[in-house]
Amino acid sequence: MSTASIVKTRAGKRIDAWRWGGRIFLVMMLLYTAVPMAWMLLTSIKSGFAAMQLPPQWFPNEPTLASYEKLLDPTNSVGQDFLRFFWNSLFVSTTTTMLAVAVAVPAAYAFSRFDFPGRKFLFFAVLLRNMFPAVIFLVPLFILMRLLGLVNTHGSLILTYLTFGLPLAIWLLKGFYDNIPYQLEQAARIDGATRFQAFFLIVMPLSAPGIIATAIYSFIGAWNEYIFAYTFLNKNEQLTLPVGIQRFFSENTTDFPGLMAASFIMSLPVVVLFLLLQRYFVRALTEGAVKH
Amino acid sequence: MAHVVLENLVKTYGAFTAVNNVSLKVEDGEFVALVGPSGCGKTTTLNLVAGLIPVTSGEIAIGDHVVNDMDPKDRNIAMVFQNYALYPQKSVYKNLAFPLQMRKLPRDEIDRKVREAARVLDMTHLLERKPRELSGGQQQRVALGRALVRDPAVFLMDEPLSNLDAKLRVQMRSEIKRFHQDLKATIIYVTHDQLEAVTMADKMAVMNGGFLQQYDSPAQVFAHPVNMFVASFIGSPAMSLIPLEASTVDGQTVLTGAEGWTMALSPLNARKVQRSTTRKIVLGARHSTIKLAKNASPNAIPAKAYTVEPTGDVTFVQALLSGAVVNISVPPNVAIAPDEQIWLEFDQERIHLFDGATELALKAD
Ligand SMILES: Nc1ncnc2c1ncn2[C@@H]1O[C@H](COP(=O)(O)OP(=O)(O)OP(=O)(O)O)[C@@H](O)[C@H]1O
Ligand SMILES: [Mg+2]
Repeated sequence: MSTASIVKTRAGKRIDAWRWGGRIFLVMMLLYTAVPMAWMLLTSIKSGFAAMQLPPQWFPNEPTLASYEKLLDPTNSVGQDFLRFFWNSLFVSTTTTMLAVAVAVPAAYAFSRFDFPGRKFLFFAVLLRNMFPAVIFLVPLFILMRLLGLVNTHGSLILTYLTFGLPLAIWLLKGFYDNIPYQLEQAARIDGATRFQAFFLIVMPLSAPGIIATAIYSFIGAWNEYIFAYTFLNKNEQLTLPVGIQRFFSENTTDFPGLMAASFIMSLPVVVLFLLLQRYFVRALTEGAVKH
Repeated sequence: MAHVVLENLVKTYGAFTAVNNVSLKVEDGEFVALVGPSGCGKTTTLNLVAGLIPVTSGEIAIGDHVVNDMDPKDRNIAMVFQNYALYPQKSVYKNLAFPLQMRKLPRDEIDRKVREAARVLDMTHLLERKPRELSGGQQQRVALGRALVRDPAVFLMDEPLSNLDAKLRVQMRSEIKRFHQDLKATIIYVTHDQLEAVTMADKMAVMNGGFLQQYDSPAQVFAHPVNMFVASFIGSPAMSLIPLEASTVDGQTVLTGAEGWTMALSPLNARKVQRSTTRKIVLGARHSTIKLAKNASPNAIPAKAYTVEPTGDVTFVQALLSGAVVNISVPPNVAIAPDEQIWLEFDQERIHLFDGATELALKAD
């Protein structure tokens, strides 16, 4: 055996070790995230009694969808509340997402393409927000919302979520636009497009992964948010899911299968969105932000 | 097709002037090459003509219209970009169709024109591919095709061949040239490859530092460079420029080298030197006009060979003379060793003389 091939095998072994280490790490991460999900799902199809049993039943002896039926049945009060929270969340998250995209796209494009006075400062200011934890803004924002008469409206949440979501969205999208050669727009303008058409017909489709990622990011952020929703809203008919579920079940004390079923339904939109669009999300993170 | 007139065109970026007072006229159907070193303002000039950047001052006319304030889309131009700028998400077909769609042509006419352009450029079989699935040469042809599907007043091409390998470049060069002849197209063609300019263009505009240096036919630019920059920029290997001292010996005007040798001048050249205001004269000579001998002769100047570079066709010999490197080409069968004593004879009909202070070519009248 030549020395070259010995060296190669050794290097090969080292790579193998890394690879196996990586795999084990990934499996652990998978367990870490998947086991609670699985437990949630299993508990949600137990009866209230079975859920409290010790030692626990791993798989329910008598699986039942009763909790789901109760939550999704608009004729009883539990179902009414739950469905209302669901629609509230959907409304707030969707509106936030649409506004976030509508603002982030032109803002990111402007930051990427135009050299206007104060551009650097503005961009820095946009990122500056991200250096502080959101709770710091809780009380000031509440006071602000009261002054604006927005307490107990969904508008207060939408505004807040936009404030927190937009900086990263703009930054992410700007990376995208930076990577789209300006010559493409020039070519389009020479080919007969107006400036806006060049943006709309050529640049927008190319940045679609970035826009989708921005949308997912905004949606998930708004969908899961708890503290601001908890602070700004206290009328039952306006609550969003995270707060609604918490209140609702602390009143009915420990209906664990109901709680788990509600949590599961709440996580569904996020999971479905992610599964459908993860392709774009990954591309956005790698193409937009990392590559230069 | 139309002519293009630039008048006192200026483009500044802050305190920096990228294009400085450029005036030139491109006749209808003419192929003009814009050449110059990197950063001299070629792309900027082209972008000004295209309307992609606003002019600082001066005037641009295409046909009989001043287009200074016109949008690119209204200038009726087609442009081939240095990096092709193909729309990555569109198929070749849609890339070619885009300019026609923007002009709201009927669908069947778009289809006819796209297929015609594809046929001419021999890429019918590529129509359904995406740009990233094409080789560099094929992308280049699509970029050309996108300009060709319309019949614009002017074609602007920004170093369209610079990304191709040498062989493909030669091939595309002749294709563009034939395309120009067939269409009688007005073309402004940017390149920093002076060989491309010389082989393709009717006229060449040599730029340096934002200034237009010379605007003439390649043959004229080659034979009568107006200054030392043009002289050294056009031609490969570059023209040798040798700084000398003019003096009068026995009523005869001669040039003296740093080594002490003198060169007698023809009457015409002597008159040029006499008319100049400085004694510092720069002698320019192209490699092929210098005769190299291994033995002394009356008009030859002694020198030492410095390096010898056989290329197959010709052998290039470099010699040091008066502090400058002199390039000489000799037939490949002439064997010369480094440090060998050689004698150089300059052809009085074909040397160039420049004013050492202003760097301008000397004139006889
Ligand atoms: N947007 C800009 N802002 C400031 N300076 C610029 C800008 N665009 C170009 N320049 C400067 O103008 C000069 C001319 O640039 P230009 O792109 O026209 O050069 P070029 O002749 O095309 O060079 P190359 O052969 O490298 O393409 C360069 O020095 C460049 O740095
Ligand atoms: Mg350029």
